Amino acid sequence: MRRYLPGLLLVSPALAIIVFLFLVPLAGAVTGAFQDADGGFSFGNFIKTYQLYSNDILFTIVIVALSALLTAALSVAIAGYLTLGTSPAAVAILRWLYRWPLFIPFIVVGQILRTFLAKNGLMNNIFVATGLITPLHTVGFLDWRGIVIAFVWKQTPFVTLLLAGAMASIDRGTVEAARNLGASRLRILLEIVLPQAAPTLMVALTLSIVTMMSVLSVPLMIASQSPTVITVDMAFRINAYGDYGVANALGLISLVLTGAVAWIYLRQTMRENAR
Amino acid sequence: MPATSGHAARPEASGPTGEPFLEVDRASVQYGSTKVLSELSLGVMRGEFVALLGSSGCGKTTLLRTIAGFMMPTSGSIRVGGRDVTRQPPDRRGMALVFQSYALWPHMTVARNIGYGLKLRGKPRQEIAARVAEMQALLGLEGLGERKPAELSGGQRQRVALGRALAISPDILLLDEPLSNLDARIRLTVRHEISALQKRLGITAIHVTHDREEAMVMADRIVILNAGRIAQIGTPQEVYNRPSSSFVAAFMGAENVVPLLVEAGGERLRIAAGPVNRAAAIPAEGRRLGGRVVEARFRSEAAELHSATAFPKEKATEDALVLDGVVMQASYPGGVWRHVVKIGEATIVVDSSHAFASGEAVSVKVPAEALFLFDATDCKEGEEELR
Repeated sequence: MRRYLPGLLLVSPALAIIVFLFLVPLAGAVTGAFQDADGGFSFGNFIKTYQLYSNDILFTIVIVALSALLTAALSVAIAGYLTLGTSPAAVAILRWLYRWPLFIPFIVVGQILRTFLAKNGLMNNIFVATGLITPLHTVGFLDWRGIVIAFVWKQTPFVTLLLAGAMASIDRGTVEAARNLGASRLRILLEIVLPQAAPTLMVALTLSIVTMMSVLSVPLMIASQSPTVITVDMAFRINAYGDYGVANALGLISLVLTGAVAWIYLRQTMRENAR
Repeated sequence: MPATSGHAARPEASGPTGEPFLEVDRASVQYGSTKVLSELSLGVMRGEFVALLGSSGCGKTTLLRTIAGFMMPTSGSIRVGGRDVTRQPPDRRGMALVFQSYALWPHMTVARNIGYGLKLRGKPRQEIAARVAEMQALLGLEGLGERKPAELSGGQRQRVALGRALAISPDILLLDEPLSNLDARIRLTVRHEISALQKRLGITAIHVTHDREEAMVMADRIVILNAGRIAQIGTPQEVYNRPSSSFVAAFMGAENVVPLLVEAGGERLRIAAGPVNRAAAIPAEGRRLGGRVVEARFRSEAAELHSATAFPKEKATEDALVLDGVVMQASYPGGVWRHVVKIGEATIVVDSSHAFASGEAVSVKVPAEALFLFDATDCKEGEEELR
């Protein structure tokens, strides 16, 4: 025992922080989800959550899934061009441009897109000014579309950053070998480069999904009417009703959803490592 | 490159005759402002195995990549079978490249790696499977079709890379140092496997290597490159026995170098006695030397070591050069004793069947046929030194 003591002492501050700042509050939230107003065990919060918010939960899943898919598609396109692009100038410009949204906070993204996507916002003003549509036909995007646009706009640079790094580090010879045999650039991207960078894409998307599940500001700024995402409902339960029980239940559902994504990812990597 | 004219370079004299199948015509290549190849011309016959030999940075890989179509020459052209392919993409040249790193696709099985080129050509699935099986049989990869590259040994990976290149039946096989990542022992057998395969398929092959012995063993002709130019082209015997320049001689193992003072006189070259060498007369044999000061090169195994008293001092030696020196060090690398001999200020390496003690005064005898003479590059200095 004495032998392990210095090691345990060294670990203890980090362990204490994890226990008191993470595990204890998490346990509190989880148990809180299963407690009724009197503190007894109950599924009441979940029943209420299901009755009030099942549509919002579905809405959240659809929005996050759609955003993740669009982010993946855009990231593959951008990272692919950064890796395989033949015009050095275009590659340099793209490399410089794509990272900008990384440095803009979600709340600012919400703000920018709110003024841009509104019915009388900048986007429609431009369309009207250029004669593409008449003022009568303008449509605001401040609903699910706005949230998806904001998520994709904010998360694409992050996923692209990781993906472009992974693509840059693959053996360049594997690309040239495919070119030597006559593969087009699109085939090289999809059949040679992307499969080798796929684990990184999966990690980036998993992290991205967790981020999107936890963003409150963007849906609040862009579309807080019904249906909306889980985070808005949680904030509403606490701020309007002081109802921590249902908020905890919603939080637990969020955690289960992100946990499922992480589990799918982990199972995939373990299967690949086993091979 | 040193200005030499020792042996007349006869690049085309020994090669197969007729129209070359692959022609590099005055190709220049540069990276940014650095000129890597300058006006390089090379002809390769159909079915020939040519080795591009040179030290790192000499432009051999650049030449291969230019032929393959991964680099564009700034001037000059590349022709295959009379067709200009200079502006053609890599896959329209009828060539397949085997990479130094093999560059196998790690996410594909062996069978899919080999069959990918055919899949790109839109061949039906049965045809691809048949060709893949054929390649596996040819290269001894039976039963490994479902493995991923990570589950193969180095030699097996190398053969998969070869199979992938050969599956599309290319006219020309390009090999970029394909053996350099293999264990020394495997490398020796793979050398013979590749050249046997090349002969069997009758395919034209260009092999880049920095390994002299590898080039000698595998190639029909060797192209020695130096600083983006061809230093010499010839059969292995020619470049080994009749190096056209001091660089080629040194690259082919004639590392011992001694400055000599020569008086040309008809059939025989008279070598004047110098601080380290006895007077000698050797057959001229077409050696054309411009200046009086020459650089003599020879291999350690081509010289003989004798005790200092073996040759009378005053008499000029015939058909051989005799140098006087002192043994500095003797070692036994196997087969022969290797001696480091101090000759004046320089040291040379000489092999001998029996050992001489360190500190012993010796005479080194170099037979005329093993002596390569070139005009010295730094004439003035050399002449001062010899007088």
